[in-house]
Amino acid sequence: MANFRYALRDTFRLILRHWGLSFLTLITAVALFFLLGSSGLFSLNLKNLVAEVENDLVINVFIKAGEDASGLVEVLQDVDYITDLKVISPEKGLEILRAKLGSQARAVTLLGENPLPWNVQIQVIKADFVTPLVRDLMSFPSVEEVVYAGQLAEKLSLASLVMNRVSIAVLVLAITITALVLYNTVNISIYAKRGEIEIMLLVGATNTSIALPFVLQGMLLSTFGALVSVILLAGAYQYISVMLAGTLSFLVLIADRVLLMRFYIILVGTGMTLGWLCSWFAVHRYIAEASWPD
Amino acid sequence: MDIRMAGVTKVFEPDIVALEDIYLDLDRGEFVYLVGATGSGKTTLLRIITREVVPSRGQIVVARRNLRSLRASQLPYYRRELGVVFQDYKLLPHLSVYENVAFVLETIGAPARVVRDRASYVIDQVGLWRLRDHYPQQLSGGEQQRVAIARAMVNSPSIFLADEPTGNLDLHTSEDIMKLLLSINAAGTTVIVATHDQYLVDAYRQRVVELHQGRIRRDEERGRYFVDGEL
Repeated sequence: MANFRYALRDTFRLILRHWGLSFLTLITAVALFFLLGSSGLFSLNLKNLVAEVENDLVINVFIKAGEDASGLVEVLQDVDYITDLKVISPEKGLEILRAKLGSQARAVTLLGENPLPWNVQIQVIKADFVTPLVRDLMSFPSVEEVVYAGQLAEKLSLASLVMNRVSIAVLVLAITITALVLYNTVNISIYAKRGEIEIMLLVGATNTSIALPFVLQGMLLSTFGALVSVILLAGAYQYISVMLAGTLSFLVLIADRVLLMRFYIILVGTGMTLGWLCSWFAVHRYIAEASWPD
Repeated sequence: MDIRMAGVTKVFEPDIVALEDIYLDLDRGEFVYLVGATGSGKTTLLRIITREVVPSRGQIVVARRNLRSLRASQLPYYRRELGVVFQDYKLLPHLSVYENVAFVLETIGAPARVVRDRASYVIDQVGLWRLRDHYPQQLSGGEQQRVAIARAMVNSPSIFLADEPTGNLDLHTSEDIMKLLLSINAAGTTVIVATHDQYLVDAYRQRVVELHQGRIRRDEERGRYFVDGEL
């Protein structure tokens, strides 16, 4: 307990003694975690957008005249990636058509007998599943025609894949830069305190008690940087959400407070973990070499 | 036996022999001067005892610990039995006299009350109580050396090592420092002093171990700095 108290005091001494460097690290951490958070939020919203468009993708299957949809429905019910399956009888189809035509509904009577076939409307979890499913449907004997937004499904699928990769690359880049900056800050602090470390080692301080203030310093700066960036990010996100709602109303950003809160907590947690890891590596490397000559 | 060296040799890269075939036994509570010219191996010998340097050959046992087979995790606990005064004091410039001394106890996790009592006691012992809030740069060489001694004795070590503790100090201050070291020894602590100070070695006669080009040339009870007839 006494050790931890001294370590905490030394941590604040470290931060204050090199306040210029600490401030620069803090600013860098804020900027980097803001970048990290922005790319995370962008990626989340893009995924959400893609998922919403995917949800709206409907595959229309028309059954041959004189046959019904029961055989096909029986097979499709066992497919696990299908989220919605609607069977529309020719009569129901006619009703829908009438409703759509409104005042011109009378024109339908000109058709005489109901010409509409059985129609099955299918929705799937992801756009990836559309093309193979359509291929299977086409080979089904009772299927006359399959109508779907073929290219859109493929493009969405590709966009989703590219965005996932871009998001991962941005995240990895931002994490690496943050890690390097923190690592260097702690290294500079260690260099400035090498005389002190040398004496600490000679008077019998354990590696852990020497390392603790440096590790806490890295963790504190990184966590505080992440915290400030979360506040800025939340404000900017709120502002952009309101702005988009007024100008591009079809583009709705994620507003799920629980999801956003989780995201912000994860960002602060990343800051803390990253700070801890970088400082630990920097200080451990130095102390291991200094404390145990061959 | 507090310190036992058998055939200790240290060769630095590429081929510099700092110590060669050292056999040396020190009993608990002994006071020993290590004398010899610059480069004779005095500092290397002290650094082998603190385990800053590992011998290339030979065995060394200090306070019942074999330093060649000492595990890394045991090193901090071993070093807590040593008090070391460095040639250049190695005081921390941003800490006051009190903080420099208390720092040692804090790094080994002593409770706050123990730190306060013990640090105050040793600062008083070395006669620096009135300067306890001063910083090293505000002190004279002799005062800085006293702080270094206070720091080395604050955790009651069983072995006390001092590398040139009176170097660059005037005669009067050197005598004060010497008396301090003798009082530490009188309390039962083994004291090893590496020195060039001929006057002090001759004035306060103790065991003298002379090193010459990394080898022990002479080991005398109550010896003098130079061998009789050398001057």
